[in-house]
Amino acid sequence: MPVFVEDPAQFSKPRLKSELIAHNVTLPAVESKKQVYVELYLKHIVQKSAADFSSDEEDDDVVEVQDSQDFEEEKDPKMLDPSVLTDDELKTTLLKYGVEAGPIVATTRSIYERKLQRLLKPAQPWQNGGTGDADQYSDSEGDEESVSQGSPETVSLMEENLHVDMRVLPQSVSLRGGCDVDSSLSSKSFSITQMVEEFESRIPLSSSGPEIKRGNNRSSNQGPCPRPYWQEAATVDKYTMTNRSLFITPKTSLFKRQIKEPVTDVLMEMFPETEPTPTGIAATRRRPIKGAAGRPVQFKYPDLPASPMTLQRWAVEHRLVPLWVQILVFFIVACLLYLIYAAMEDSLANPFVTLLDNLSMETETEGLSLQAEP
Amino acid sequence: MSSTSQKHKEFVAEPMGEKPVNALAGIGEVLGRRLEEKGFDKAYVVLGQFLVLKKDEELFRDWLKDSCGANVKQQGDCYGCLREWCDSFL
Repeated sequence: MPVFVEDPAQFSKPRLKSELIAHNVTLPAVESKKQVYVELYLKHIVQKSAADFSSDEEDDDVVEVQDSQDFEEEKDPKMLDPSVLTDDELKTTLLKYGVEAGPIVATTRSIYERKLQRLLKPAQPWQNGGTGDADQYSDSEGDEESVSQGSPETVSLMEENLHVDMRVLPQSVSLRGGCDVDSSLSSKSFSITQMVEEFESRIPLSSSGPEIKRGNNRSSNQGPCPRPYWQEAATVDKYTMTNRSLFITPKTSLFKRQIKEPVTDVLMEMFPETEPTPTGIAATRRRPIKGAAGRPVQFKYPDLPASPMTLQRWAVEHRLVPLWVQILVFFIVACLLYLIYAAMEDSLANPFVTLLDNLSMETETEGLSLQAEP
Repeated sequence: MSSTSQKHKEFVAEPMGEKPVNALAGIGEVLGRRLEEKGFDKAYVVLGQFLVLKKDEELFRDWLKDSCGANVKQQGDCYGCLREWCDSFL
């Protein structure tokens, strides 16, 4: 592994550590100063590079090349097989890939090993895909340089741009027809403004196209490679934006703003729960209106911390409805008891008996009057 | 339509204390039993694992899938539940 930066003192300590590990150098004590690492680095790694470069004869070159190849061969299987690495080595290897790993414990080790394997695998196929897309773009960029020469060429270039974008979006067929109509117009300024309008109407479609692609890809491939898809779609967006910016310069800021706004809306509509990915797409969420358009009710939670109290209140309130029934029943029972008590006591018997007699007499008179009438 | 379940809301509303691992959103009987067999018998043990993985979503989902065979929805529910609990109480 050729080292082009010659000043190891500029490296950070973990970087020095990882480099030492990569070159199979035993690490010094953990608390040792950076200088110790630097010295070890200079001693072993510079020695190795000196050995590589000091040879003049071809035989020596061949020998050195073979040595370096053997060294790399020793390194590669260790790199590709995470299970052989120690905890520290695994952690430093993950750090090389930009993954800040937590403590590697018994339970987390297998997870981190799998993550490293996943990082090692897609590194190659994605590079091939990226270069293929770059080739397509570079062809049209070569055509683009002729745009600055004249306006009729801009129309043809637009058609080519649309043609290129059609590889990404199958939606722009109708707009392509619209642009053909524009090209048939005589005055230059009129056609340019029409083209601008067409672009403005096209932007939401073009931004939503890769967004939908992005969304579908994300939903289908959850864990393994969300990043490459994001980057691919992002590069497509960048390409279409830079194309337009070259010959319609005053409108670029508008375009960029319009492209950015639909991005956040579509994303949030499709995935309201997910957090922004570490690829740098920062979408700050506006607080959604409670219950509007079936939005998720994440902001209803501030109510819940008071739930123990509300639960108690609810439990108390729950009894208030049958409370009246309870009071009514209580009164009925009280009256019955009073009547029974009254029936038992002799002192109260007289008025009670007279009452009963009056009642019975009234009923008798009523009964007699009823019998008399018909 | 709420995107979080009743179980989620109940778990997030108060400190978990000694709640069993079944109390976590996304973890039902079967998954709970599998986790208990692995030694994760209480919700706070799963919380410990979540924190050791630095609250990283991808890693935690992988761990869940690996240890109890949770599907994508269950992983998401459990992760969201623990994350919100941490936001409130940690």
